[in-house]
Amino acid sequence: MKYLLTVCALALAAPAHAQWTGGDGAPTSPLPCDGSTVTPEPVAYDGGTVANEGSKAGKPLRVVDIPKLIGIGYFDSSARGVAKGAEALGTVTVTTDGPTQANIDDQITLIDNYITSGVDGILFAANDPVAIAPVLRKALAAGINVVGYDSDAEPDARQWFVNPAEFNGVAKSLIDQLAEGIGPDGSFAIVTSTFTTPNQARWISEMEAYQQACYPDMTWLETVEAQEDNILSFNQATTLINKYGEDLNGIVGMTSVATPAAAEAVTQAGLCGETTVIGLATPNAMKPYVASDCVKSAVLWDTGAMGAAAVMALRAAADGTLKPGDTSFDAGDLGTLQIAHGSQILLGAPTVFTSANINDFDF
Amino acid sequence: MLKRHGHETVLAGLVVIALLVMSFQSAQFLTTGNMLNQGRLMAEVALVALAMTFVIVSGGIDLSVGSTMGLCAILTGVLWQNMGLPLGVVLAIIPIIGLICGLFNGFLIIRVGMPPLIATLGTLALYRGLAEGISQARSVRGYPEWFAGIGQGSILGLPTQIWILGVALVLAGVILGLTRWGRTVQAIGYSEPAAHFAGLPVNATKYAVYAVSGLAASLAAILFVSRVSTTRSDMGTGLELDVITAVVLGGTSIFGGRGTIIGTALGLVLVQVLKNGLSLAGVRGDGTLVLIGVVLVLTLVAGAFMENRVRR
Repeated sequence: MKYLLTVCALALAAPAHAQWTGGDGAPTSPLPCDGSTVTPEPVAYDGGTVANEGSKAGKPLRVVDIPKLIGIGYFDSSARGVAKGAEALGTVTVTTDGPTQANIDDQITLIDNYITSGVDGILFAANDPVAIAPVLRKALAAGINVVGYDSDAEPDARQWFVNPAEFNGVAKSLIDQLAEGIGPDGSFAIVTSTFTTPNQARWISEMEAYQQACYPDMTWLETVEAQEDNILSFNQATTLINKYGEDLNGIVGMTSVATPAAAEAVTQAGLCGETTVIGLATPNAMKPYVASDCVKSAVLWDTGAMGAAAVMALRAAADGTLKPGDTSFDAGDLGTLQIAHGSQILLGAPTVFTSANINDFDF
Repeated sequence: MLKRHGHETVLAGLVVIALLVMSFQSAQFLTTGNMLNQGRLMAEVALVALAMTFVIVSGGIDLSVGSTMGLCAILTGVLWQNMGLPLGVVLAIIPIIGLICGLFNGFLIIRVGMPPLIATLGTLALYRGLAEGISQARSVRGYPEWFAGIGQGSILGLPTQIWILGVALVLAGVILGLTRWGRTVQAIGYSEPAAHFAGLPVNATKYAVYAVSGLAASLAAILFVSRVSTTRSDMGTGLELDVITAVVLGGTSIFGGRGTIIGTALGLVLVQVLKNGLSLAGVRGDGTLVLIGVVLVLTLVAGAFMENRVRR
């Protein structure tokens, strides 16, 4: 029975994805190699519409912020940004509540309960773009303003989405940083969260496309899963170092947990300077490794600004000052943010933290 | 009455108290809309918990239900989209897959002689691994409109899930409480050798119990996929814990022999009332978890205390 099932599994899986890197298989749009910018084609507003539009203009709003999960540094800092943005607005009270694990069912149930309790607005970071859509549509139909950040839902299930960094932009930053460390013909491996995490799978797909277009001689050795777990990430990175030895020139961490753990693994293996570590990471976690010169750079966006922009967009959408067809959004202290891809508010290019600037950031 | 059903009485009292307290905490709690919606949300856990009651009453346990659900969910997507089978045919195949998963658990436990905890701990990993491998961790989306009707639609004003749950509840209650087969399951749970020497079909009954558990997990998978209109290999992760919590809270003895469907139903309702009511009252998710843990421990202690006192 076991063999039968395993054989079935292999038969089903093998032909569909022969070259599997952990990407999501969706179409990619790699940026040009030379860094020239492409202006995105203007797309008509594709977000959803809220029932009783405009009825909340100028009124105080009770908003709930529902990240993928609570209790990790990344969403703690985005929640602080949300709180700060709400405080600056003065007319929004916001509570952050989320599942304790990045679980689609728990998140959906939570949102459903908040709809019943009659909140005025919902901010979310989706654990799954499609699974969360029906419950968000229900919120829109109940007259609740809905704005996403970090991880999007289907566009018509929310009004606006604050995109912290575009997938192809992150992919270009990471691969360019990697190429600087390992050269255009080096080989590297990836430590990701899980293969089911949508953002990570998307970045990996875009990285693969960009690497094939711009650094075709690089070798992609392997992608390994490490959840968002410190010890597992460290073990996986150590395993990669032992498995590939000198063939491994670089490790890319796809989560804010994996990158510092990979840096620690390289430090403990005594390979500082020989094996390049880059990846997505919060600056505080990377400071020791940048200071010891073991890591040259890490990439991330300002999570606080992302949270603040989301709550401001929700206020503006409720007031009717942010409306379909707008091409920019005035986000107070954050400046004027560009709107693209129909209904996405762009936070700008991701920040690359190096020894030159990492001490200017604290999150 | 109290001697045999002390636990259920305590539980029913708790449910009433919880309903009252929660309705004072939030005006939106005791509304028809909210109650029906809760019925929809608890359907997957409830279906599997009904089957799990039989497993635990028979003296076993099935930790693989969440993974079975994940595997069945993934196969729904893969058979339909990648293999090109009509969705109607797929919906007929999935319950068979659930049955096979359950029978394989039965095979390990009955023929190989592994303890149920170990055997299903193994298949928990095995089925989840298969789900990840088959799907390559990719989601299948874009189900037709009619399919969403199962998990998102209503019949005569009631969510589809409530009808399914109602039928399953009555069926399970009658079978466990009133039939000879139900008493066989209980006898096996009290003492397997005694049941064997009484001439009861021990092995066939145990096979059936695990098969039904797998079947329930596969039906839960269909409901869930239809409700969220996507399939992912991590679906159903941790389901086994929610299910076992409800069954044990319902007074089913983890050592087998004793347990009722009414108890499980009350356990399910109590957990759902607490989760929903506390959430509406503005208590955060982590606080709710703590309270459910406290209620679980206290109910079991109170139930045991009451039955001991009556017995003396």
